[in-house]
Amino acid sequence: MSHNLCPRPELSKEDWDPDVVTRMIILAPGARVSESEIVSEMHMLDLPLTIKNTCYGAMVSGKEKDVKKALEEIRKLDPNHIFTKDRGFAPGDPRRCRGQRFGPREGFHQMEKEFRLLGDVADALEKRKDVKVSKKHPVDIDLVKNIMNES
Amino acid sequence: MVEIAIYPPNSLILADLIERKGHTPLALQKQIRQKVKDPEIDSPPMNITEDDPIKGLKYAAIEVPSGVRGRMSIIGPLIDAAEAAIIVDGAPFGFGCVGCARTNELSTFLLRDKDIPTLEVTYPTNKDETYQMVNEINDFLDSLDELVKSDEDFKDEAPVSEKEDLEFVEKELEED
Repeated sequence: MSHNLCPRPELSKEDWDPDVVTRMIILAPGARVSESEIVSEMHMLDLPLTIKNTCYGAMVSGKEKDVKKALEEIRKLDPNHIFTKDRGFAPGDPRRCRGQRFGPREGFHQMEKEFRLLGDVADALEKRKDVKVSKKHPVDIDLVKNIMNES
Repeated sequence: MVEIAIYPPNSLILADLIERKGHTPLALQKQIRQKVKDPEIDSPPMNITEDDPIKGLKYAAIEVPSGVRGRMSIIGPLIDAAEAAIIVDGAPFGFGCVGCARTNELSTFLLRDKDIPTLEVTYPTNKDETYQMVNEINDFLDSLDELVKSDEDFKDEAPVSEKEDLEFVEKELEED
């Protein structure tokens, strides 16, 4: 597996460009758009972007201003269920891409964990609901003593 | 627009909520991108340079393991640039982790110690707690512009010099 620990990246010139940013678009459960709809919508924008369809949504890479513009347009489709996040590595980078690794990529487990919360976060964003959460406190020692003395 | 440090530093939910309100999240990924695209590193980010633990000395002592100092060389500049902070307490490892408990402790300590507006929320375990967390974060973000502005106003006030202070005491004594 040693070859997998330090793979030599053969990336394109664009991927080495420090001005190029990569963003992940993640759909929350209950989203009113699908992954393919997002990707086709981004293609329709006709911006110089690299777009990748993924199981959780999409990945988009390009110059920062183009990516920002694309995200603004995409968010309009379903503002409360579309979440975005920066990504350090370019799409398909062999050091992160699952296709060249023996197992899930780093970051997958975090996304899995956060994905479980995303549905509730999307609901909270859709309609604000003020709730009071009561904190659990330990049982008062006097109460325990009283119960013991009674029995 | 305020630059906000988040902890865990690579959290999707925190970064997204901040961007929705027009602020800038200081996410770890941007720092990692700089490292990944640095042609001087052989196979980034597996190899850190020998400079990294040295840069980390700004945040942790020499006795601290090099792993903590190496991590702090990436997270530290984010903490330095922070104008506000949101910290999630009790988050499980999956909810963004830098892979080192001591780095987590040091980073949250530095953020708490920095004298900036800080919001600490507890990691939610059910729907109601998630509602509460999102509401708290949104309220904090809405009030942030005023909070940061009032902090800056306070800092802009010229500090009283020791000389002026001494003159004031002498004057008071003479009057007595």
